[in-house]
Amino acid sequence: MLELFPSRAAGPFGRRLKHARGARIPVTIVTGFLGAGKTTLVRRFLGTPEGAGTAVVVNEFGAVGIDDALIRSSVDEVALLGNGCLCCTSRTDLQLTLRGLVSEREFGTVPQFRRVLIETSGLADPGPILQTFATDRALGGEFFVEVVTTLVDAVSGLATLDWSAEARKQVILADRLVISKIDLSSEEAIAQLTSRLAALNPRAPIVTAVDGALDPRCLTEAEGTTMPVHAGFVGESAHTDDIHSFVLNEAEPIAWQPFERTMETLIALRGSDLLRVKGFLNVARCRGPVLVQVVQHLAHPPLELASWPDNDRESRLVFITRNIAPKQVTALLQAVRMLATGAST
Amino acid sequence: MSVTEKSPLAKGSYEPVAWNFKLLAQHELQGFGGMGEGMSIQIAPDGRRILWLAHESAPKNFTAVDVSDPRKPKVVVQTDLPQPHMRSNSLEITDNIMAVAYQTRKVDLKPAGFELFDISVPENPKSIAFVDCSGAHSRGVHQLWFCDGEYIHMSSGAPDFTPTHPNDDQFYRIFDVRNLSKPTEVGRWWLPGTRVGDSTPPPERHPKPLLDRGNRAHNTNVYPNRPDRCYLAYIDAGMFIMDISDKSNPKPISRWDNSPPCTGFTHTVLPLFDRNLLVVTDESTIDNAADWPKLIWIVDARDEKHLLPISTCPLPGPEGYANRGGRFGAHNIHENTPRPTAWHSDQIVIGTFFNGGLRAYDISNAYQPKEVATFIAPAPSMSPAKSIQMNDVFVDEREIVYTVDRFAGGLYILEMDF
Repeated sequence: MLELFPSRAAGPFGRRLKHARGARIPVTIVTGFLGAGKTTLVRRFLGTPEGAGTAVVVNEFGAVGIDDALIRSSVDEVALLGNGCLCCTSRTDLQLTLRGLVSEREFGTVPQFRRVLIETSGLADPGPILQTFATDRALGGEFFVEVVTTLVDAVSGLATLDWSAEARKQVILADRLVISKIDLSSEEAIAQLTSRLAALNPRAPIVTAVDGALDPRCLTEAEGTTMPVHAGFVGESAHTDDIHSFVLNEAEPIAWQPFERTMETLIALRGSDLLRVKGFLNVARCRGPVLVQVVQHLAHPPLELASWPDNDRESRLVFITRNIAPKQVTALLQAVRMLATGAST
Repeated sequence: MSVTEKSPLAKGSYEPVAWNFKLLAQHELQGFGGMGEGMSIQIAPDGRRILWLAHESAPKNFTAVDVSDPRKPKVVVQTDLPQPHMRSNSLEITDNIMAVAYQTRKVDLKPAGFELFDISVPENPKSIAFVDCSGAHSRGVHQLWFCDGEYIHMSSGAPDFTPTHPNDDQFYRIFDVRNLSKPTEVGRWWLPGTRVGDSTPPPERHPKPLLDRGNRAHNTNVYPNRPDRCYLAYIDAGMFIMDISDKSNPKPISRWDNSPPCTGFTHTVLPLFDRNLLVVTDESTIDNAADWPKLIWIVDARDEKHLLPISTCPLPGPEGYANRGGRFGAHNIHENTPRPTAWHSDQIVIGTFFNGGLRAYDISNAYQPKEVATFIAPAPSMSPAKSIQMNDVFVDEREIVYTVDRFAGGLYILEMDF
């Protein structure tokens, strides 16, 4: 589009932001299988200073009335979704609920909340929820998913992961993993579960909780969400369900156009298998890191931050894919780059 | 600290808001926290960062606050006005020289005009010169602009100016202050028809008596990017781009007036030169949102002779604000003051909206300004408005935001977080 009123202070991706959230409302998504202790965790969080001013959106599926009663007593305002699973049939309701909350906040009919926490149904696949926030046309212009925290209970978690693809996906897509009910389990079982979780999602920190007691920052901050991911990252992990997670690292600044074309091609050909792509790139001629986020077919417009947090300028992009191998992505990117520059093989 | 968490301030009958602004400090300015629309920062010779503030009304003249540490503001000096019937609503600083506007409550009172101070030692401002603008039909100076160290552009009456209507008494005047001890008027302009003797008939007045606020000058912004232009807000006559290449003969290039159907009081015109945009503000002047809507307008100025409004900065409707007490609607914005101690942005507009608080807008997309931050402080104790009345805002080059209450709350210092 022809920009009639360009600003020289803007970067190629618009106004440079102080942080990835920009001015958007932070969103915490809490997932976990039935009985994992999500409500206890949320209730404890709401009692902390970090949890003050949180609007909770609860998906009632599978826990009618119980979660509602517990959480309603803890916060001023709760918006309940009444029509079943958040992940599939109620995506529109989630949008309406969140837009309604923003509008009511503006008119002063709900308190000035400063964070939204979505407690999903135990059966929810977080993928479609993340999609809801992926573009400006949906909720991405107003809301920013800061962290996806998944609870797994130490007693039955391992078995659940074996039989439930949804449970595995909750773990794979998480930014943080919380093992709950450790007081009811053996050390050996916890170690086994930890090992299984690390294999499924090597990039998410794993913490433990007893009766919902957890550092509240686990629900407000996610490594790799607000700042680039740092050392200690496992390069690649293959799972059952043919899901791969890997990190694209580049030390040199990245030319934007070939990268964009590569992602467009991936999205066009295999969008449904790009479960989540997220990270910060060092884009040539940009002052700060550029946040890139893709959820399946939806790519959020890239956003540039005002500055890097430190001297490390390495690009790091996390891919969680189904049946797309890292080599395929890097080969495609390489081919597009060569075509773009006119280089020959 | 977020206001919603814990605040030392008394809470009014509404919920305070701190969204993407972080309150660092608040200072009630020794009990004289009713502040006007003059805010300017000096780096004193000893390195201290001093914020100079004009008071909204008597008895105080101006207050200087050391904001070197924005979390610990300290009052350095607070001065008194010589007369209770006057106010020093406006001030500006160039280096260590400060110009202060003096306006009287009624015409034909003294002192009305402007005063220059040497503020090299902030604790001891020394008067250099006083320029008398009083007269039988003059209330003196309401606002002034002094950013180049050479000229003061102002909204002022004059002893030799008889308006055709008493509300049209203040017009655009330019003073040469290169000789600080002898300021000299070098040019002036008034809306044709507003001075007795003009060949043009007097302009139409806004219909309701309360909305007839005068065809007179308000802000008179001049920037080094275009030293031959003055961006002149003219209250009920809208705004003008003035050609001041010959300061002795300012000439209007174009005019844009949103009223009627709006309710007048054009207050500020901020040019965003690189983007060919103007940001134009109204001022709400009547309590309980009776003059709604008062807005910030984005104007396409690609052709300065043909101005085109393209959007406004969205405000919530008056329903939730009209009954809070005091005014609700636009007023001052950060004006990208052409000084090294001011923040300059052509993507973010920050404005004060009385009980609507302080609001920041992302205007990256000029057609769709978007609110990105809000700060609505609790009602200051002792405020007759019973609500916050955010009056003016200034942002320094460190991106620290200073905003003031019109009646009692004094100074609020904030960080932007977006």
